[in-house]
Amino acid sequence: MSGFRIATTEVDLAQLRETLQHPGSGGFCSFEGWVRNNNEGREVSGLEYEAYDELALIEGGKIVDEAMARYGVLAAQCVHRTGDLKLGDLAVWIGVSSAHRDEAFRACRYIIDEIKHRLPIWKKEHYLTGDTAWVACSHTERAHEHEAPHAHHHAHPEPADDTGAVATPPFRPDYSRQTRLREVGEAGQAKLAAARVLVIGAGGLGCPVLTYLAGAGVGTLGIVDADRLDASNLHRQTMYDARDIGDRKVDLAARRITALNPAVTVETRAEPLHPGNAAEVFAQYDLVVECTDDLGSRYLSNDAAMLTGTPLILASVYQYEGQLQVVSGKPGGPCLRCLWPEQPAPGIAGSCVESGVLGPVPGVLGAMQATEALKLLLDLPGAASTDLLLINLLDHATQRLPIDPVQGCRQHGGCREVARRALEQAQGDTDVDVHFEHLDEAITAGFRLIDVREPAEIAARPIDLPSQAVPSGQVTEHASVFAGGRVLLLCASGMRSSHAARLLRGQGERNVYSLAGGLAALRQASDRVAG
Amino acid sequence: MTTVNLQYYAQMREQAGASGEKLTTQAGSLRELYDELRVRHGFSLPADALKVAVNTQFSDWSRTLDEGDTVVFIPPVAGG
Repeated sequence: MSGFRIATTEVDLAQLRETLQHPGSGGFCSFEGWVRNNNEGREVSGLEYEAYDELALIEGGKIVDEAMARYGVLAAQCVHRTGDLKLGDLAVWIGVSSAHRDEAFRACRYIIDEIKHRLPIWKKEHYLTGDTAWVACSHTERAHEHEAPHAHHHAHPEPADDTGAVATPPFRPDYSRQTRLREVGEAGQAKLAAARVLVIGAGGLGCPVLTYLAGAGVGTLGIVDADRLDASNLHRQTMYDARDIGDRKVDLAARRITALNPAVTVETRAEPLHPGNAAEVFAQYDLVVECTDDLGSRYLSNDAAMLTGTPLILASVYQYEGQLQVVSGKPGGPCLRCLWPEQPAPGIAGSCVESGVLGPVPGVLGAMQATEALKLLLDLPGAASTDLLLINLLDHATQRLPIDPVQGCRQHGGCREVARRALEQAQGDTDVDVHFEHLDEAITAGFRLIDVREPAEIAARPIDLPSQAVPSGQVTEHASVFAGGRVLLLCASGMRSSHAARLLRGQGERNVYSLAGGLAALRQASDRVAG
Repeated sequence: MTTVNLQYYAQMREQAGASGEKLTTQAGSLRELYDELRVRHGFSLPADALKVAVNTQFSDWSRTLDEGDTVVFIPPVAGG
C-alpha cells in the first residue's frame, strides 16, 4: 500500500494515526500544514488546491518510501488535501513512527520538504480583497540537503517497506545526452542548474522554449502569461491539449514543466509585466526569452533588458517566416530600437490572429530561441552574435544582418539611455489601461465611450450603449472629440485603443483611457453586445 | 537603368504576392526605389516603419543602387 494519498474531503486523523502503531515504535512524530490567513503580506480568506493526481500519487508514494528507507523508520503516512479549504483547515498531514525520535523528526521533515518541492500540486489563494492568485508551492528549503552523506540513521542496506518490496528510486534527471557534448560537460550542467531564466509568453514560441529549457535542467524557470488556453492555440502550442481549454496558461505550463522535469523550480506570473515592474523583474533573472505576440511587450522587454544588462532573446513570426534577435543587454547595444526606434502602431505588424500562422513556424523559431538561450548560458561558440536573422520557411531563404548601433540608438544617446527615456515615458502612462467587466460600469464611473474599431467591425459587433466612433488611425485628427471629461477608448482586444490613448496623451489629452483587453475581456453573459 | 534583386518579408511578401523579384529601375536611391514599389505593389507601410538592407548589410535610405544589388525590405513582426 502506498504511504501517500490525496483526499478531497476532511481527513480522519485518529484513524491515520492508528495505522502507524507498531510494536517496535518508541516515537511518533507528525506534521500538519494548515491554511493560514496571510501570505506575502496579503490577507487570505481561503485556498484551493489542485493536483495532477496521477503523477502526484506516484511521486508522493516514492517520497514516503524514500523517507522510510533513508531514515530507517518503521511506518510513514502522508495525506494531501485538494479542493476548497477554509482558514485553519488541514492541508497536509504527515505521520512517522520509529524506534527512536530523531529519525522520526527527520523523516517527517524530509517528506514535507520533498512534497513541497516535487509534487505537482498548485495552490490558489483567495484574498480578502476578492481576487485570487495561483501560488507555486515549490519554493522550499530542503533541510536534508545539508546533511552529510551517509547520515542515514538505521538505514537498511536494501530499501524495503513492510511488504518486503524494493522501493522505487526517486526520479533523477539524466542529462547524459547533453553532458556528453564536449562544450557542455558536467561544468555546463552545473551552470544550467544554477541559472534563472524568465520566459515571457507561454504560447507558440514559449512552448518549445519552456519545454527545451526544462528538459535541459535550467534550475529556475519563470513564466509570464495572462492568457487562458483557447482551442485556436492548439495547432501551435504543443504543451497543451484539448482538456486544457479555458485554463490559465501559466498554470498549465507550470504543471507540464513539473511533470517533465521535477528538478526545475517554476515561478509563475499571471499578469503581464508593466513599465513599473519590468526592470525589477528582469533583474531577478540571468536571461529573458521574449515569446509574446505583442509588440508592446517586446519593446518593454527590450528596454528592461538594456536597463538591467540582462540578455534578451527576441523572436517573432509571421505566417511562414520569422525573425530572431539576441539583445546582449550590454550598454553599447545593439538593441531592438536600433532597428525600429519606436513601437509601430498596432496593425502595422501583423499578429497570428489577423494574419494567420502555420503551426510549426513558431515551433522552429521557439526552438531557435531555446538554442540561443542555452548557448548564452553555456557560453557556447556563436553565443555573442547579435545579428538579426530572417527565416522564410517556404523557400528556406535566410538572411543574417549585422546590426550597427552607430546607425541606431547611438545617434540618440545610446541604447541604455534610449531605453531609460522610453521606460520613463511609459511609466507616466501606466494608468492608461483600465479594467471593466461590463461597459455600463465604465459609464457609471463617468467615462464617455469612444469606439476606435473600423466601421465594418462595429457593424459586425455593435455595442448597445451610447458611444462615438472614431477609427484608431484617425484619433489625432479628431482631437476635439476627446476634450472634456474622462474618455474610454475601446477596440476588440485593447491594443489599438491603448496605442491611440497614449498618442492622445502625448498630445496633452490627459483624460483619455483605454479599455484593457478590449471587448474580448468583458464578461460574456451581460456585456450587452448584440449578436 | 539598374537591375536589382528584391526580397520581401512578412506583410510585404503578402502584398507583393511573391517573396522576391528582379527589377530594372531608374530609381537613384533606396528611397526612390521604395516609392516606386509602393505604387507598383500597394505596400501599406511607410519607409520609416521599415528597415532596408543591401547585400546583407543594413543600409541608409539615401544609398544609391548598383547593378546586381540584393535589396531586402524588413518590416517589424509581432506574431508569437
